[in-house]
Amino acid sequence: MTDDELAMAYADGELDEIAARRFEQRMAEVPALALAVASHRALRAQLSNMFAPVAAEPVPDRLTAMLKPKVVPLRPGNRRRVWWTAGAMAASLVLGIMVGQFGRPGGPVAIADNRLVASGALATALDRQLASDEGATRVLVSFQGTDKAYCRVFSSPAVDGIACREGKRWELRHTRAADSAGQATAYRQAGSADPALMAAAQDMMAGDPLDPAAERRARDALWK
Amino acid sequence: MGLDAFEDQLLAMLPRLRRFARSLSHDAADAEDLAQAALEKALKARAQWQPGTRMDSWMYRIMRNTWIDTVRSRTRAAETFLPEAAGAGIADESSRIEVQVGAREIHAAMNALPDEQREAVALVLVEGLAYKEAAEVLDVPIGTLTSRLVRGRQALMARLGEAA
Repeated sequence: MTDDELAMAYADGELDEIAARRFEQRMAEVPALALAVASHRALRAQLSNMFAPVAAEPVPDRLTAMLKPKVVPLRPGNRRRVWWTAGAMAASLVLGIMVGQFGRPGGPVAIADNRLVASGALATALDRQLASDEGATRVLVSFQGTDKAYCRVFSSPAVDGIACREGKRWELRHTRAADSAGQATAYRQAGSADPALMAAAQDMMAGDPLDPAAERRARDALWK
Repeated sequence: MGLDAFEDQLLAMLPRLRRFARSLSHDAADAEDLAQAALEKALKARAQWQPGTRMDSWMYRIMRNTWIDTVRSRTRAAETFLPEAAGAGIADESSRIEVQVGAREIHAAMNALPDEQREAVALVLVEGLAYKEAAEVLDVPIGTLTSRLVRGRQALMARLGEAA
């Protein structure tokens, strides 16, 4: 380390015991070193004091809102009801539009045995993509439901939702119009976690979300 | 680890994340956007977080990478912008002005640093990380962190010394 690096590391308390004692001996002989230590400490105090008020400010709502479903713990029954009552109108409207618009061969949503299922590119993405993969459709979290079936929270250009494996199909258990969170900003990217979907996923989940290795194993075993 | 614990830990980190964002971004509005973008990334990448590891290091890394990806590529048009929070909470009028001038100079000096020095300064001097922790967040050897940090500090001292 250079002298200035030593002075800095000493000022920050980063030198081990022996190096610190050795540096103190030199500092007693070389006043410039003591001055350098003092300057480093002063700068540290200056910067740390200047930015400290930011951490003391109340966190803006738009940030806490992204975590809100977890901030106010609701009993599972309540949470589900909040989800359905608040979203029922919008959700049924979304479903109507989706089935009307996309319920045709090749679209992301189809109806099979009177159930809403993923189809086309969405089904392919749910079959193959890992949560770490980029793409028009993103898988946000994969988990096993209480019935052991694999479920995946996804975000696609047309619709966000939770799909669970039923036989060889992905049944759509929750759906929301893409970007329904209403938090569009220049930085918002397709595929952000929708807090309401994450809350719904949490209710459905048995245990923890799949880690990357478990997710890969489940995919390679074709989600059986 | 369940989702609640993940969310709770993130929530507890928000004040520090905002501070880190502010020390990286010259502009207060950019800093808020950065904090939001980093939080979105973290929520999206939650499956990649390894329970039992330190969430703050993980989150600082996400924010730093987000900053590299987005804010850095922006034009730095806001050179003369003074963040509104600078000097806030200082009651005495004369010292308030003094503090504001100081804050403006520090912001300008931070903004003039090369990104790799600024992120090292922000992590160690503002966030209070140990060298080893900061090196891990930035994914560089500790010697590299030390040399970036000392160069950043020398540059800041030189600029602030001139201004004083």
